Amino acid sequence: MALTENRTKRENNRQKHFKRYWQLYAMMVLPIIYFIVFKYIPMFGNILAFRRYRPGMGAYGVSWVGLKYFKMFMQDPAFWRAFRNTLTISLGNLIINFPIPIIFAILLNEVHHVRFKKVVQTVSYMPRFISTVVVIAILSEMLSPSSGLLNMFLQNTFGIEPIYFMNEPQYFRWLYILTDTWQFTGWTAIIYLAAITGISADLFEAARIDGANRIQQIFYVTIPSIMPTIMVLLILNVGRMLSLGFEKVLLMYTPSNSQVSDIIDTLVYRTGLANQNYSYATAIGLFSGIIGIILVSSSNAISKKLTGDGIY
Amino acid sequence: MKRYHTKGNIIFDSIIYVVMILVLLLCLMPFIYMLAVSLSDPNAIINNKVSFFPIGLNFEAYKQIFTYPNFFKAYGNTIFYTVGGTLISLIMTSLFAYPLSKTVLAGQKVAMKMVVFSMFFSGGLIPNYLLISNLGLTGTRFAMLLPFAINQFNLIILINFFKSIPTEIEEAALIDGLGYFKILGKIVVPLSKPALATIGLYTAVFFWNDWFNGLIYLNTSQFPVMLFLRNIVNGTSMIGDAAGSADKATIAISIKSAVIITSTLPIIILYPFLQKYFVKGLTVGSVKG
Repeated sequence: MALTENRTKRENNRQKHFKRYWQLYAMMVLPIIYFIVFKYIPMFGNILAFRRYRPGMGAYGVSWVGLKYFKMFMQDPAFWRAFRNTLTISLGNLIINFPIPIIFAILLNEVHHVRFKKVVQTVSYMPRFISTVVVIAILSEMLSPSSGLLNMFLQNTFGIEPIYFMNEPQYFRWLYILTDTWQFTGWTAIIYLAAITGISADLFEAARIDGANRIQQIFYVTIPSIMPTIMVLLILNVGRMLSLGFEKVLLMYTPSNSQVSDIIDTLVYRTGLANQNYSYATAIGLFSGIIGIILVSSSNAISKKLTGDGIY
Repeated sequence: MKRYHTKGNIIFDSIIYVVMILVLLLCLMPFIYMLAVSLSDPNAIINNKVSFFPIGLNFEAYKQIFTYPNFFKAYGNTIFYTVGGTLISLIMTSLFAYPLSKTVLAGQKVAMKMVVFSMFFSGGLIPNYLLISNLGLTGTRFAMLLPFAINQFNLIILINFFKSIPTEIEEAALIDGLGYFKILGKIVVPLSKPALATIGLYTAVFFWNDWFNGLIYLNTSQFPVMLFLRNIVNGTSMIGDAAGSADKATIAISIKSAVIITSTLPIIILYPFLQKYFVKGLTVGSVKG
């Protein structure tokens, strides 16, 4: 008796809840369909990595093949080359482009002329909004052997013969990393600047009274105070190691620099879309996606444990 | 303040100002160089005379790209993708963010988890490609618009913003008999202009700059301007056909620069006006969702 009463009560509550909020539920219908179709169906599409694809026979392949494609790429030297290249570029990128925004933010914070500071900030964010296509197009013009600014400078000042920077493998990693520096330093510095702004003025005051000069204040107040932010971003950057700027690498890729410029994503692109080896490419993509998710979630967990802060 | 102008401080300040001026120059230099090249005489370019000032000012390159029908078409396509994509995205993101900002809703937590999970794990290139072609979107402009209707990061920024709006305003509106659709349209959205401007800018920049999706999904006539530029850089698209073959290379350089300048200009012009919003947006977005 009491049970049924409870149940009808609950149903009444549910009806009331729905009656009251039905418009909010109605709003979500389209977005949820969007998420299912464009985010979740492709996730399930990953089963193609375990199935053999036949053109014209649907997106999910024709028969199960187990781990065949995984074994295949594990034995493929091209995969290991791409894997190594991915790690090398992202490690180099981390070593160079992680500290630079921190240094930039600290120095920018020391600029006391408000107008000038604003101008520097505005200009330094701007490259973040420029298309990768434009960045690489500008780069290739500035480095062009026939008319580029850098070769012109090297030739006029040091008498060095024009160098074909975009084609020679030994420059590829540097160009990748330095264009990232150019594009993202100002943007990444925003987070550190926000953290620096949050430091209590009392700390600086106390340091000044103790006789600390500005450099000492940076080392004993500013840097220790933003250390949690630095740690969180460092850990998260490590978590994102495998996700390089795929489009940029694709734009910079030439057959002559392929030894160093072929990364996992470009390999997936070439084997999948160019050679239509869909199942094989899906297997490689799924593998790097899973490693990526392991890296992100473990680094997030570490970040939460160490600093109490993570991204989710 | 007296203690401020010590010798050490003056040296320290000078170093900082030198560094900052260097940063300014480094950020601006590539654009100034491109502008100079695009406005220079082809002969000056081939003789390596152009650095940061146009030599032998001429607008030939601009005249030429404006007579080039494919450039106009591509530029128009980009405007279409940017305006259409941003509108769709703002509407869809608001429609999802508003209910998700209400924790009383059943399933709100599940939906949030679904969103966050999809940020870290996705279908990858091939499953996405096969989905788009199976939906029959390949070769249609929808392939540029629909797959990007909601960006999860933008969604979380907006959810956080909606949460910060005082509920009293909504309660008053509810008592006045407004439904949630009207509350969203007439109260919440107008109150959220800064947040919407932020994510609108991010979205518009994304659509303006996108080329890869155009490359894999579209036909030539639907190409956005960035793909047009990329094809010029790759040499897959012929330019400077009108000129003799000797001049081709140098004319190609100034045309390339002119395309770079014209395709980037709208962002550079728009960006200072919206700048004040997006810094706020980024710091809001970095608060965990």
